[in-house]
Amino acid sequence: MEVAERIVILLQLKSLNKTFNNFCALSNIDFSVSEGEIVGLVGPNGAGKTTLFNLICGRYRPSSGNILFKGIDITDLKPHAICRLGISRTFQSSRPFPRMSTLDNVLVGHIFGKGFSLHTRPEDREMARELLEIVGIAHKAETLADQLTLSEQRRLDLARALATRPKLLLLDEVAAGFSPILVKQAIQLINRVRERGVSLLIIDHFLNLSLKVSDRLLALDHGEKIAEGPPHMVMRNRDVLQAYLGLRHQDEEED
Amino acid sequence: MIQSTSTKTFQYDAKRRVTVDRAGLFLGFLLLLTLPLMVQSNGYILQVFTHALLLASLALAWNLLGVSGSISLGHAAFFGVGAYGSALLSLEQGLSPWLTIPIAGLFATGLGLMVGLICLRLRGAYFALATLAFVEIPRVITGNWDALTRGSLGLVGISGLPTLRMGDWHVDFGSSITASYYLVFVYSLVLLGLVTFVFRSNMGLALQAIREEEIAAEAVGIHVNRYRLSSLLMSAFFTGISGACYAHLVRYIEPGLVYGLHFSAIPMIFAICGGRFTILGPAVAALVLYPVDQFIFHPLLPAGHEFLYGAVLILTVLFMPNGFWWRLRNA
Repeated sequence: MEVAERIVILLQLKSLNKTFNNFCALSNIDFSVSEGEIVGLVGPNGAGKTTLFNLICGRYRPSSGNILFKGIDITDLKPHAICRLGISRTFQSSRPFPRMSTLDNVLVGHIFGKGFSLHTRPEDREMARELLEIVGIAHKAETLADQLTLSEQRRLDLARALATRPKLLLLDEVAAGFSPILVKQAIQLINRVRERGVSLLIIDHFLNLSLKVSDRLLALDHGEKIAEGPPHMVMRNRDVLQAYLGLRHQDEEED
Repeated sequence: MIQSTSTKTFQYDAKRRVTVDRAGLFLGFLLLLTLPLMVQSNGYILQVFTHALLLASLALAWNLLGVSGSISLGHAAFFGVGAYGSALLSLEQGLSPWLTIPIAGLFATGLGLMVGLICLRLRGAYFALATLAFVEIPRVITGNWDALTRGSLGLVGISGLPTLRMGDWHVDFGSSITASYYLVFVYSLVLLGLVTFVFRSNMGLALQAIREEEIAAEAVGIHVNRYRLSSLLMSAFFTGISGACYAHLVRYIEPGLVYGLHFSAIPMIFAICGGRFTILGPAVAALVLYPVDQFIFHPLLPAGHEFLYGAVLILTVLFMPNGFWWRLRNA
């Protein structure tokens, strides 16, 4: 008999808490991402989505709790070390290296994402160019990054994050403000990333992406996990509807 | 700290960059190499250019840190420690400057380590202010430790630049201004080569990335503090060497001079005017501005000739925030 599919847990959050000066940004988050999975992280403004990303990537240190990646405790590691282990991210408002060429932006990710070599080899440039092609901005390789459009900068952010050869990619609002056509392209792009064997955790405040690509959703509100599961289930969850649409008032009237 | 406010867009033209750099390097090299012949070893002119080359080395060394985005206003600390270190070792211990100059560079590196551990957690204007304040520490120590440094009297009778011997053949670099000129020229070239190597290596790529967007840099695997510290240490080492060369060139130093604001500000001004993001810019600025200052403004305004530097800095920041060499390469 064959084992249907062995689920390997890639990222595990254990009762994670984060407080900023008595303000509780995240409380008791238990969650995990398996290998090959795409998870959408949803919730209203201020729910703690980006804070969760910053904890995973090591920009913030949790107030308590642990983060395990491939079984290694990464709670106290610095961002560069976490990147080298295989977690990479994009930013809510993209952060390119503005006065460097688009190609060099990606090259930085490729060269430092897994260690260090003193000189850039031609094949490193080739890799960087390939990634620019995947995200569709290869024709802008020699342009300075601050001259790209907003959507191109998001693509660049993604290409640079992919260049570090991550096992887990965290996307922060990649498709916010995108037109339907751009969202479609983003979905294709995400599927292509998944084909490369990368797991994804996607912050998607407006739900224009995660409902279509996610295997699972995690919904946060006021720093607490309010729901978790398949997208259609989560979207029917009362707490989620309440967080997004504020149905409490209506409920009370029905009683 | 200083951001480009210009709205003009620049194309990334690799060919133009290479052309401008090669032309500048070739012309500069040729002019400087033949300068003693052209001016028939006119002592004054050569002295000014020797000094200009030394300042160019200082600007290049400053820019080893500057390229990472940190603006230091305290490089006189490294310069002064280098100058005093080498002068005292050769005066008191009778060591050859060939030995004392690199040792002085190491002293400056040691100080750089202290500055790094204390100040590198700061960014932007805060880092600049901390380095500005830091200069006072070695200055006060040097000025008051009379037994060792003779305090504010300064040091006189420092040995000149050393002699190079190879079998029977030898050059005494301290014997004539032409010989000193060539020694400083060779030192600046070596430093230029090293800066080129660092900037073009992946370390240069990391320093640029840190300057442009530190949070993204660490997120793609760059150990930010390690790179910032290494660039500071390299910068301090060569600033110390330049300070040591200065001591043996001028043969007289005092705390107020070598730890003065002059040696903190001047490499920064040259680097910013020439272009912090370029390899050659800081050196070109030193080699153009210092002679202009000495030959044109000094005779006109003996008391206030240094206003030139302030004026050029203000104009640069307003109209070409990335420096004129950067502009030439990217226009």
